[in-house]
Amino acid sequence: MTATTVEKPRYQIKAPKNLSPRIQWLRDYYFRGVQRAWNNEYTAWTTGTPWDFQYNELNFYIVPETYTFFQTFRSSYCQMAHPVALHPDFWRWSLPERRAWFNREVMVRYLPKEILPGDLLAGARFNVQTSACLNKREAKERDRMVMGRGGVREAVFWFHNHGYGNAGATGGHLIPDYARVIREGWKGIYEELQRIYERLSAQEKRGRKGAQLRAMMIAATMPRDLAAEYSRECERLAQEESDPTRRWELLQMAKNLQRVPWEPAQTFWQAVQALWLTHMLVMADENYPGPGDSFGRVDQYLFPLWERSLSEGMDREFGKEILKCFWVHCNTAYDGMIRTGGNQGITAGFGQLITLSGMGPGGQDMTNDLTYAILEVIDEMTPILEPKPNVRLHRGTPEALLDKVVDMIASSQGAPFLLNFDERSMAGLILQAKKSGVEHLINESNVFDYAPVGCLENTMVGNDRSGTVDANLNLLKAVELALTGGYDLIPFTDPMTGKTEKPKRWGEDTGDARRFQTFEEFWEAYATQTRHIVKRIVDLYERSEEVRARFAPTPYLSCLVKGCTEKGLDITQGGAELGYVTIEAVTFATTVDSLLAIKYLVFDKKICTMEQLIQALRDNWVGHEVLQAQAIHKAPKYGRDDDEADEMGLRVMKLWTEETWKYKTRCTGRQFRPGMLSWNYWVSDGFILPASPDGRPKGRFLSNALCPSNGADIKGPTANVNSVGKVLGGKAAEGKGDWAEYFNLLPNGGSHTMTFSPSLLRDPEHRAKFKAFLRGYVENGGTALQINLIDADMLRDAQRHPENYRHLLVRVTGYNAYFTSIGKELQDEIIAREAHRI
Amino acid sequence: MMTPSKRGRILHLQRLSTEDGPGIRTTVFFKGCPLRCVWCHNPESISPRVEIQWYAVRCLNCRTCIRVCPQQGLEMTADGLRIDRKRCRGCGTCAEACPSNAVEVLGRDVTVEEVLEELLKDRVYYETSGGGVTLSGGEPTMQADFALGLMRALQEANIHTALDTCGLCLDATLEILLPFTDLVLYDLKLIDDEAHQYFTGQSNRRILENLIHLRNWIDTHSHAPKLWIRTPLIPNATATDENVYSIGNFLARNLNGYVTRWELCAFNNLCRDKYTRLNRDWQYAEQPLLSSDELAHLEDVAKSSGVDATIVQTSGATRLQEETWSR
Repeated sequence: MTATTVEKPRYQIKAPKNLSPRIQWLRDYYFRGVQRAWNNEYTAWTTGTPWDFQYNELNFYIVPETYTFFQTFRSSYCQMAHPVALHPDFWRWSLPERRAWFNREVMVRYLPKEILPGDLLAGARFNVQTSACLNKREAKERDRMVMGRGGVREAVFWFHNHGYGNAGATGGHLIPDYARVIREGWKGIYEELQRIYERLSAQEKRGRKGAQLRAMMIAATMPRDLAAEYSRECERLAQEESDPTRRWELLQMAKNLQRVPWEPAQTFWQAVQALWLTHMLVMADENYPGPGDSFGRVDQYLFPLWERSLSEGMDREFGKEILKCFWVHCNTAYDGMIRTGGNQGITAGFGQLITLSGMGPGGQDMTNDLTYAILEVIDEMTPILEPKPNVRLHRGTPEALLDKVVDMIASSQGAPFLLNFDERSMAGLILQAKKSGVEHLINESNVFDYAPVGCLENTMVGNDRSGTVDANLNLLKAVELALTGGYDLIPFTDPMTGKTEKPKRWGEDTGDARRFQTFEEFWEAYATQTRHIVKRIVDLYERSEEVRARFAPTPYLSCLVKGCTEKGLDITQGGAELGYVTIEAVTFATTVDSLLAIKYLVFDKKICTMEQLIQALRDNWVGHEVLQAQAIHKAPKYGRDDDEADEMGLRVMKLWTEETWKYKTRCTGRQFRPGMLSWNYWVSDGFILPASPDGRPKGRFLSNALCPSNGADIKGPTANVNSVGKVLGGKAAEGKGDWAEYFNLLPNGGSHTMTFSPSLLRDPEHRAKFKAFLRGYVENGGTALQINLIDADMLRDAQRHPENYRHLLVRVTGYNAYFTSIGKELQDEIIAREAHRI
Repeated sequence: MMTPSKRGRILHLQRLSTEDGPGIRTTVFFKGCPLRCVWCHNPESISPRVEIQWYAVRCLNCRTCIRVCPQQGLEMTADGLRIDRKRCRGCGTCAEACPSNAVEVLGRDVTVEEVLEELLKDRVYYETSGGGVTLSGGEPTMQADFALGLMRALQEANIHTALDTCGLCLDATLEILLPFTDLVLYDLKLIDDEAHQYFTGQSNRRILENLIHLRNWIDTHSHAPKLWIRTPLIPNATATDENVYSIGNFLARNLNGYVTRWELCAFNNLCRDKYTRLNRDWQYAEQPLLSSDELAHLEDVAKSSGVDATIVQTSGATRLQEETWSR
């Protein structure tokens, strides 16, 4: 047992351990960043036409920080693009065939094939910006739709500038059917494509469907051809190699690559090789490295080969060594923009998620030896960002796993993984099945095979694109519109021109709030405006979805998502068996607290009139400090296990989620579904949205995802957790919920972050208490939990002396970030977050 | 069985309490204490009266409190809000009116039912952790009827109960509460009676007698509580080799086999601001924390005092909790 003393050095940052010289070298080499001789930065490739472009801004509509750079990026990639010699028939092919062929050509024939010293896995370069492959007519039409007057780009900027949020058809964020590649090989996929293609009528073959299937067949040969290239490189290196052990490894790699990923994997090494090559080509295919391309339940689908190789004599540590190479490879996704900024391209916006443990059929626990091996790999490699692990917990989680999880939390600066909670998560997915009429695809017999993507967004696996980051909606906008009867509280001023917009009723006319006699009248206005903003984001999303569906096929990825082959339809056109677009609501607690404050201040206690409140908001609370303090300190808040306040939270939740279920994309038939992720928008949009009735001035952060507002959770962690569970729908009082007794209104899940003082894990007794807290979370909490174990003093010190804390990882709403790499506002905010001391 | 609707005066409830007994607990802080320990980490719990306190950092200087005080007992000075504690009747009008909660009431009167409702909210965590509810303070035995009603209700609800006591009460009071107590956390601060009187204002005679009484009670009852002893380690007061050794020796001689844990709780200075808010001086304000070496040394002394060495534990966070949570 230790007590805090002032004499000792106070903090120690987690250091990697138990690394072989090989892995140590690869890891160190990776962190040398721009000083490396080798890297995986973007290369750009063109058809050579004057209208060609590579950069797909649609992927970045959800990243407002990049809006001003769209034209620059597009031009830069065009400028640096190398021409590719085209097939004589190229321009006669359909667009998906052109894309498939072009990408294969670049990956197989143009990109160098390199193997790093000691590396056990092949597949190094994949960050590419490849031609959109559009002909002149297509390019003109696409650019008109995107950049023209009244185009998507303009609509996206308007939406963001007016504080609604953002939306765009974004890549990644799904779990391809990697398990199938390992099981059947690409050959199996190719043969199925061929079978289905052959069954088409002559007319169908000439049509869209035939073209799509041909494109997918071209794409399906890309991993085979690339593996052959890498195999030759391994053989070449083996010939030059003098060290017999390394020579053996290289020859073994060459043999592996002769087999996988085309044929089914026969060893664990082959399985990981097949997985990596297949995965990196998804990132290449979408020209979108990393964000949300997730692996799913690796400890399940790799387990049979893990066991087999162990039984055939593979040393367990060697198996881990293969995985550690895999870890290093995943991190090279960041190399895309390695020269940008001071962090060698490492940003928070990635997330190749792996899922560990969790429930199986009949509620049984699926933890196995590979689960532990992977946790050991994480423990030994940490701190490192990718792939991001998510550990699934449930009522049947064994003590041994929980011990390992809590030990790792205790020895890291924060949990080096996210925790997902099965019962609550599965209740949401069962609800989703009912709401969208796919109970034949998601039901009790398979829902346990779900896995999260990106950060914590729950999806099904191998047949599901849920667009989990594509639409981000500020619920608070509806409060603003209800206060003004449909106007912006403060008209938008363009920062470039300095011009202020003429006030216009953008929202619904819900009447003059100053005349409302009861809170219920205000609620009705709020509900109407909520319906309005949901409709608005649905309409906005439709526009980029349409552009993507027409002009940006991803035939390679389509091969890996069930439904596309069967329908002969690209995934961008709604080919996946399960197609959703997730509206991620932002500002939940700020909205609930604002409604509670209006009720308390104006109607219940009559501390002020509605007119006075609105004036205070227009004045950004300046000159209204007493009222502001009452809003902050006296009005009830969500997050305190106060039934009345949490009831308001549930009411807000039901309203917006019900509204969300009403819509589908028109061009691709994808169902909208609700979630709460809120990435970093709760920070940046705090500078756009005006003051809110909960006492927040403009410029201060909004609430993060499902979390209570900053500083609001004064009743401690258990109260915080209980509130979160309640607003998700709680549990069935009598009878059954959607899964066991659980309800969950957010099938996507909701991000919940809690910060604890390290003292809570200081000895075995307290670690046991923390384990019990997690088991309590299973019962009462949400779908996902991130644990920060950081001490405010340490963060302040890191702010002052970033040079000493380069590897300090913090978790911010679903993603890891190096603390010193994030902006000061966010740093301040993390410091301000109440550190729960147990 | 109905529980008596007795009102009690408490400071607050601390949820997810991990330092006051096994598992995850909610600690109910009673107001009022018979001791006057000079190092007290919870000075707001000493007086049984309702008091108010003022947080400078929260104050907007709007003077609402001064205007509404029916006793005209508040005044803003260069040093902050002056509370005339002789005039103050603890009516709470100021705190109710204060827009920023800069003025706070210490002590509220609650019924067993009201507290129980709050306590039950964390039942799940008690169950997953083997935790429950701890009555602490202040001194719960000073409000024996309320404590009894609460503990009885908790036992009916099948929730583990712990009684954190300084031991200074009638033996009869203890006897009333023990049937509803699963664990007693018994404070032993100083063995030397003169020192005890000097530092706490009271003789330790009854405290030691009650401990023996408790032992006898355990002997004669089949459903008897477990017993933990707690000793705060206060520099130059309790944290001496001699005192720690004497306590251990007392336990070894009189309670061998009865005590399942003896906790040495390291001094903590984080309650310094509490004294400021109550306009009191605290002689430990500048006292540095124990070093880990000092703590380890005292742990060794305790272990060599004749008690079963496995029952000796140290902890350093108890009152740090309290500081963080009382807002």
